[in-house]
Amino acid sequence: MVQDDRSLRKLCFALAAAIPLGACSLLTPHPPSGQPSSNQPSPGQPSPYQPPSPPPPARENHLSPATRSLVTQARAQLTNGDLPAASSTLDRALRIEPNSPLLWIELGRLRLAERDAHQAEGCARKALVLASGDRDALAQSGRLLADALRAQGRNQEAREVESQPYMLDRQVK
Amino acid sequence: MARSKSFLRRVLRIVAVVAIMALLLTTAWSVYLDRVVTREFRGRLWSVPARVYAEPLDLYVGAPIAADDLEEELRRLHYRSGDPQAGPGIYRRHGGNFDLHARRVRFVDELREPQLVSVHAGSAITGLNNSDGTELPVFRLDPMLIGSVFPIHGEDRIVLSPADVPPLLRKGIKLIEDRRFDQHHGVDPLGVLRALWVNVRAGRVVQGGSTLTQQLVKNYFLSDEQTFGRKATEAVMALRLEARFSKEDILVAYLNEVYLGQDGERAVHGFGLGSEYYFAKPLDELDAGELALLIGLVKGPSYYDPRKHAERARARRNLVLQELAAAQLIDAATAKRAAAEPLGLRPPGGRYVPAYLDLVRRHLKRDYGEGDLAAAGLAVYTTLDPRAQAAAERSLAQHLSRLDAVSRVRDAHLEGAVIVAEPNSGDVVAVVGGREVGAEGFNRALDARRPIGSLVKPAVYLAALETGRYNAATMLEDAPIELKLGDGSIWAPQNFTHEVYGRVPMARALAESMNLATVRLGLDVGLSRVADTLQRLGLETRPTLNPSLLLGSVEMTPLEVVQVYTSLANGGFSARLRAVRAVLDEHGRPLKSFKVQVEAAAPPSAVYQLDRMLTLVTTRGTGRDAPTRLPPGTIVAGKTGTSSDTRDSWFAGFTGSYLAVVWVGYDDNRVTGLTGAAGALPVWADTLASLRSASFQPVLPELIEDRWIGFNDGLETTPACNADAVVVAVPKGTALPSHTGCGSSPFSTLPDKIKAWFKTTVH
Repeated sequence: MVQDDRSLRKLCFALAAAIPLGACSLLTPHPPSGQPSSNQPSPGQPSPYQPPSPPPPARENHLSPATRSLVTQARAQLTNGDLPAASSTLDRALRIEPNSPLLWIELGRLRLAERDAHQAEGCARKALVLASGDRDALAQSGRLLADALRAQGRNQEAREVESQPYMLDRQVK
Repeated sequence: MARSKSFLRRVLRIVAVVAIMALLLTTAWSVYLDRVVTREFRGRLWSVPARVYAEPLDLYVGAPIAADDLEEELRRLHYRSGDPQAGPGIYRRHGGNFDLHARRVRFVDELREPQLVSVHAGSAITGLNNSDGTELPVFRLDPMLIGSVFPIHGEDRIVLSPADVPPLLRKGIKLIEDRRFDQHHGVDPLGVLRALWVNVRAGRVVQGGSTLTQQLVKNYFLSDEQTFGRKATEAVMALRLEARFSKEDILVAYLNEVYLGQDGERAVHGFGLGSEYYFAKPLDELDAGELALLIGLVKGPSYYDPRKHAERARARRNLVLQELAAAQLIDAATAKRAAAEPLGLRPPGGRYVPAYLDLVRRHLKRDYGEGDLAAAGLAVYTTLDPRAQAAAERSLAQHLSRLDAVSRVRDAHLEGAVIVAEPNSGDVVAVVGGREVGAEGFNRALDARRPIGSLVKPAVYLAALETGRYNAATMLEDAPIELKLGDGSIWAPQNFTHEVYGRVPMARALAESMNLATVRLGLDVGLSRVADTLQRLGLETRPTLNPSLLLGSVEMTPLEVVQVYTSLANGGFSARLRAVRAVLDEHGRPLKSFKVQVEAAAPPSAVYQLDRMLTLVTTRGTGRDAPTRLPPGTIVAGKTGTSSDTRDSWFAGFTGSYLAVVWVGYDDNRVTGLTGAAGALPVWADTLASLRSASFQPVLPELIEDRWIGFNDGLETTPACNADAVVVAVPKGTALPSHTGCGSSPFSTLPDKIKAWFKTTVH
């Protein structure tokens, strides 16, 4: 019985978590690319170390087919209430693309589902740094950070995050 | 008469008393032995060790795994070349195309059934398909078994359950070692009589006539000495064991316990480990010849050692094969074919990773209750990357031998330690605890606590950047300094070169590891602030606030250095180091998993500025040789460290993929004569060169920009203007002094296109 209760509760979490997850739509289709991630400059492009750098151009982060399929799998595991499996699947994705803000956002959402708001905050802050220059990813990171702060009762800080330009920018849309 | 009668009675009484006492003693003895044997057997039977697995390798299009790497990996996982349709564990390669029949394996998150896949590889993976031709986005190879630990007492064993025992082994071992095993009660009187007869004729004990049960008891409790007292104890214990446990339990325990050879300092016990040690295959994949070799070894593992006495081992194997055929356990044709085969031993060495298992054991102990770990059949999934482990082992051993050969020290060998981690996740992927890889013992990677020397300097410079009063172009004073310490003594540090450099930009002071400039900077920033920074980066205990802290008098283990540098390699986020990803129980349910844990440790913009300076260490400074063995253009950040009088040689550095820390020194702490660049750095460079590693290219934070300054004068410039120009990162809009004339500040505000045009026309 105890076991049943627990899995039922897990399922509830999972469903609750799945709703905002669907909304952040990491899996929006984008033009197929063989590149693992547009986050890493391709050999032809100037690396950040071929300086002095012009203001970073607007960037868009995409997931590679491999990490996209892992994110899909992690979401399915989450929906089934198997949080440890979802976590381990996202670990795999992060090993492939450790610098993708999208994956850190995904992991942070999972931490929220696990009710680990403190770690969700860590993921959000990391995503925020990695998302520099990508307005979509910035807005999603900010949303996650605000949610993680609220979950810890830090409402004032959450409101401050929500008033950041990159967040306002999104809300207009 | 009466007297003799009473005498007789007295004698009888004495005899009776003696007899009763003897009976009591014998009973007590046997009860005692029964207790001992039962307790030990139960303990062993139920304490099945945890199996420990390495991180499985993910294949996906773009994965930096060349065709030869993939084949090497498959061989490491004991896949053999053949027709994949024939069954799991087989692959076929045509050039860069692989058809693979993957085994049924349990991962942390799923049980995967056998699966046919096609992989295409050139210099990286270029295609991945299911057997029906559909695309497969990502596919995991098997997790490699790297050992098994009794989490509590730490022995290494691969324990078989009854279901794991191949039928041929079950029948074969009885046939060769104890034909009447299923009939006797622990002792085989016929066997004993036969042995007795042989022994009496020889005048000494030459034959055991022991049953499997007796051999098991001997292995558990008794020394190897062949006395009649010992044999009696053994016999009683064997009888008690048989009375209490089933034949099946005893047979399986025997198969797990029997001694099969010696792997350096590790005794190879049990057929599971034996199969691994001699053939590098799971027991259920052994053929008749291989099983026969193992069965034959029981009689005398060192006498028949197939690596030392191949001919004896071959003869013994073939004899066992004959017997198996005679008993119709295999057919004659199989026996004949197997007898003609080579022994099929795997090359020695390679897979045993005691230093890494040591870290696993400590993490398990730290994070679990001992009670949780006592459960049978746990599976421990670690973050070990066997390729990184092999690269680090090889690199350390080679360079220490080279350095020893040119050293004047003749009575001691240099030692060393290497740890490789993935800084984003905190995953520890390799641990080398000394040059003798297979040997257990002092694990320098975890336990050698040494002064870190200049490895501390990044923390000093980071603390300075965090105040906002400094940037990479800030001029520091590299001039002699004398400090009166708390105990009244005078501390007068010097540069390693014994030179004085005068006014130098901060970026150069760090790159060339100047002591005087650093001490002055650190005192200005404040010792307490430097200590704070070190602690936020991940140092657990607060260092003593002594000025010598600024030059690295603080002692740390290589593992602690890794924890601190993880935060630098990870943009200011500390990631808790982990060697254990998850532990599953015997049903594959997670007992516990260890999540990636990241936390903000230092402001990302300050860390970016520092990291940029650390890339100057490896291009212009003391770490210049670090990138030389990596593909040209690979960006590396790092720092050398040398403790006082060159007792400790350190290098800590990171690429976009890995962070590695290397220590080289003597165990008795004597002077090595090696700087960080001469001792530890080459080990680092070769380790990283063997791993596919991306450039270190962090995302530029919003508030930071890259600018050119003169490496020597710190003035803003351009490469066209100053051949000594280097790039540093500073907060946006920072006013940097510049030369009047060439490369003046109006120039730097010109739009990029014009600048580019200017540059090309000037050249």
